[in-house]
Amino acid sequence: GRVKEMNTYAWPTVFGGAGGESERTRADIISTVEFNYSGDLLATGDKGGRVVIFQREQENKSRPHSRGEYNVYSTFQSHEPEFDYLKSLEIEEKINKIRWLPQQNAAHFLLSTNDKTIKLWKISERDKRAEGYNLKDEDGRLRDPFRITALRVPILKPMDLMVEASPRRIFANAHTYHINSISVNSDHETYLSADDLRINLWHLEITDRSFNIVDIKPANMEELTEVITAAEFHPHQCNVFVYSSSKGTIRLCDMRSSALCDRHSKFFEEPEDPSSRSFFSEIISSISDVKFSHSGRYMMTRDYLSVKVWDLNMESRPVETHQVHEYLRSKLCSLYENDCIFDKFECCWNGSDSAIMTGSYNNFFRMFDRDTRRDVTLEASRESSKPRASLKPRKVCTGGKRKKDEISVDSLDFNKKILHTAWHPADNVIAVAATNNLYIFQDKIN
Amino acid sequence: MEVQKEAQRIMTLSVWKMYHSRMQRGGLRLHRSLQLSLVMRSARELYLSAKVEALEPEVSLPPALPSDPRLHPPREAESTAETATPDGEHPSPEPMDTQEAPTAEETSACCAARPAKVSRKRRSSSLSDGGDAGLVPSKKARLEEKEEEEGASSEVADRLQPPPAQAEGAFPNLARVLQRRFSGLLNCSPAAPPTAPPACEAKPACRPADSMLNVLVRAVVAF
Repeated sequence: GRVKEMNTYAWPTVFGGAGGESERTRADIISTVEFNYSGDLLATGDKGGRVVIFQREQENKSRPHSRGEYNVYSTFQSHEPEFDYLKSLEIEEKINKIRWLPQQNAAHFLLSTNDKTIKLWKISERDKRAEGYNLKDEDGRLRDPFRITALRVPILKPMDLMVEASPRRIFANAHTYHINSISVNSDHETYLSADDLRINLWHLEITDRSFNIVDIKPANMEELTEVITAAEFHPHQCNVFVYSSSKGTIRLCDMRSSALCDRHSKFFEEPEDPSSRSFFSEIISSISDVKFSHSGRYMMTRDYLSVKVWDLNMESRPVETHQVHEYLRSKLCSLYENDCIFDKFECCWNGSDSAIMTGSYNNFFRMFDRDTRRDVTLEASRESSKPRASLKPRKVCTGGKRKKDEISVDSLDFNKKILHTAWHPADNVIAVAATNNLYIFQDKIN
Repeated sequence: MEVQKEAQRIMTLSVWKMYHSRMQRGGLRLHRSLQLSLVMRSARELYLSAKVEALEPEVSLPPALPSDPRLHPPREAESTAETATPDGEHPSPEPMDTQEAPTAEETSACCAARPAKVSRKRRSSSLSDGGDAGLVPSKKARLEEKEEEEGASSEVADRLQPPPAQAEGAFPNLARVLQRRFSGLLNCSPAAPPTAPPACEAKPACRPADSMLNVLVRAVVAF
């Protein structure tokens, strides 16, 4: 992607928020967004345990200017609230993560997880139905056997497309703590799930067993100093995965070296800059997301104020650091008071790894072009999303005289946070979740 | 003085958040609890070191006390020594007096104070001689006092025993400690999102809060 393309995002499609953005129904809040491998499907999960899948319209010859818009394809309830009677705890139905499996036949498969249970869902289409059964009527009632005087072969007739979702596997009871990540392996047979202290390896076919591959729980919980915050498999090397910690470190592990990967193969940590050390610097260094580049050569981490790109061959420091909203550094005290300092932002790569994107507050999201080193701030809101118009770059005024169209730091709305964004694996199409609204922006230049 | 008040405010706020997070759906979150305890610890260190600095002109500490270069100002107004009530005062379970919610200036004071590099190390050995018995947690002394006061040592027992396997198993004790100590404070705080609980002006009479501090931090560590 080139710089120009970044500035010309338009064609917004907005889903959700029946009552407008001011009405925030808690169950509607989007908690995860994920494109599938082809980009034709986009899945979202919400706080109410629901999954909504959008499908891209096939561009056809009769409508050559059709932009490949996304429409609702399937909706289903993935998780329900549960109650753990042993601990007297409610288990939230909120979908923490969705990960697609590579497509192997006509059906689509995805993994969705809440705090405790991972489910494998099969999404399949049905566009034909059989008619002319012998034993039952058209409306399904059983026919009186004595009335059947002739045999016929049922014939398949077309019907309106129906998309069905059915749970194929339920992977439960393997996590004491809250699941923060799932990641499908490149072998397409296994996947990992990570909670605060442990990472488990599963086989997609086997639900009654999982292998614990990382365990950082100390013998004495009082000695706990860090937790696992995210984990991901390498996109090509099926024996390699990484996990990030609340201390701002990343460990790369090789499953070939030992069964329990408590000892890392590589340890990535940037030495702390003493001049920026502050009261809250320990908690803002916590990594909220880690993502490998598509190439597998780099990985990106998101902490509270920045995104960093790491070269897997260099453990001592990141090769790039991009400031997302550095103007918040002097506001950390207030952000601690209103709990915003605990917000977990995600980040994503574009298909060619030339650009990265992450969210911020006030429904702003940021894009960084790695080649030109330029960045842009865009806004996801109904007011600023007129069809066919380009998204206007936004600017936050950090001090001094506020120019026209700039927004001062103090007037940012910290309730409007963009935590989840996704980039199409090949095209310049992005999905941005703003509370309970999903914005899909496409590149103007085709 | 400013720094001390701010640190105290943040500690109170953190305790409130910890208590509040237990009520949330899905149970206590380990990561969040850890982050809160880290902030608590930083606030405590800041509070203690600010107190030491304030007391230095008055109390003749043994020369072995290291002057910590990390505590040098940019903090302002550290030279004004507070009048302190004796630390040996018997701690009573009063609600902690706290600062009002900060105005913009106070927030910047909070931010300005932070560049002073707060040491994470416990300076228990050097400080305990100075007559500041209440400043630093002294395990044995605390045990006896607690048992005197309440006759229950569940939170202490929690420290000494290996924690239960489940994450949430350790937390009920924390909540109980918080409930006991801060029921007055927490009941009068608004149900609204975490703002600092209503408070009165800090007076020298809030000195008893020091022992409250130690209980606070110990309760936090116990999880």
